[in-house]
This record gives sequence, C-alpha cells and structure tokens, in this order.
Amino acid sequence: MSHIPNTGSAAVPLDAAAEATRAPEVITFPKGLPGFETCRAFVLIAPQGETIVQCLRSVEGPAASFLVIDPRRAMAGYRCELSNADRERLQASTDGPLLWLSLVTLEENGTIVVNLRAPVVINPTTMLGAQVIPHHCLYPLRHVLVSAE
Amino acid sequence: MLVFTRRRRQSIRIGDGIEVQVLRVGRDGVRLGVVAPPEVPVHRQEVYEQIREANRTAAGSPQDVSLVARRLGRACE
Repeated sequence: MSHIPNTGSAAVPLDAAAEATRAPEVITFPKGLPGFETCRAFVLIAPQGETIVQCLRSVEGPAASFLVIDPRRAMAGYRCELSNADRERLQASTDGPLLWLSLVTLEENGTIVVNLRAPVVINPTTMLGAQVIPHHCLYPLRHVLVSAE
Repeated sequence: MLVFTRRRRQSIRIGDGIEVQVLRVGRDGVRLGVVAPPEVPVHRQEVYEQIREANRTAAGSPQDVSLVARRLGRACE
C-alpha cells in the first residue's frame, strides 16, 4: 500500500517538485490526462523563486498547460493511496518516492480551486506520470482555496 | 455496440483478463462486479467525465503562476 507519508524514508519533501524541475526533464503520461488524451509528454516548470505553484506543460501534441500545487498545501493531512492498477501504470515500487500534484484553476471571478479528487502522480524514478482517480480517498473535485476577491 | 442479455451471476468476458458479472438486478439498477488485470483502471463513466471537464476548465483558466502563488501565499500563511 502506498500513500503520501508525512514522515519516513518514502516521504517526498515539499521542495522535491522544485528539485525535479531544475532540468525540465520530460515526464511521459502514457494515457495523457482525461480530456487531453493525446498529450503524452509534459514538463514541470517552476518559475524562478516560485515554490508553491508550478506549471505542468505539454510539450508534444496539442498545447495544454496546468497550474499545480502539492495537495498537502491545499489540505493539511491530505493522504491518498495508489491502487495496484495505478502503481502498475507508473511502474512504481512500494517504497519509492512519488510526486503528488493537484491541478489548480483560477476561475473567472478570481476564485482559486484545486482538484483534490484526481491528483497527478509522477514517479521520478521512471519519469512516468498519470492522473489517478483513487477509489478510497474521496476528496473534493473542486476544493476552494481562495474565494473571489 | 455489442448487446447481451445476462441474468444474475452470468458474466461477459472482454479480452484475456476482464470479466464483468451481474451480481444483482434491482428495480433501480444493476449491480456489476468487474475483475480486471492490475494495470487496467476501472471507473464509473460519470466520474471520468467530471474529471475531464475539470481538466478542461483548469487548462482554460489563466496560467498566471505568480498571481495564483501570491494569493495562495496569503491564504496559506
């Protein structure tokens, strides 16, 4: 069973994402993302000095770009388990580190929401990624982080 | 689309490893059991569609990292 550990050897530190983006290596999403099935290659970009919000950008096929944050920043104690099917897709070992990201939407009225229901999970060892829909962590699809100004 | 008539406890098989069995037939719905290989994700269609819609909205929203970060930073402090 895999989850987002808060401590322990498998923990991914909050700055791991920044770490991973120093060289924008291509992350392969074999099935794309729902709605963006033909986008198979992404890079994770952290604008200089930026530690909270990053950009997951498609570099092959149709243009697509998403703002992402660590789900634990959006909700303290966020904890999700990866199903065997998803573990298989990411070729993830049971104790290797995984990077969990949640898609952020800046809505027209300024509300900022985050999708905690279907996180993007990246295996930094294989550089494989997938948007997963865990059966047992029913977090909201539209969690309001900042209300309209 | 292939159409089958199945009764309780009867199944259909898809490819090598996928089996869909009718567990119960009720007035309001049919309860199905799915056996699939570990690498095949199985989801309700509507869940997948909601996520697809949310993704499209997310990709269509302004990709303004610094604005979002500034406002989130204030919210998370």
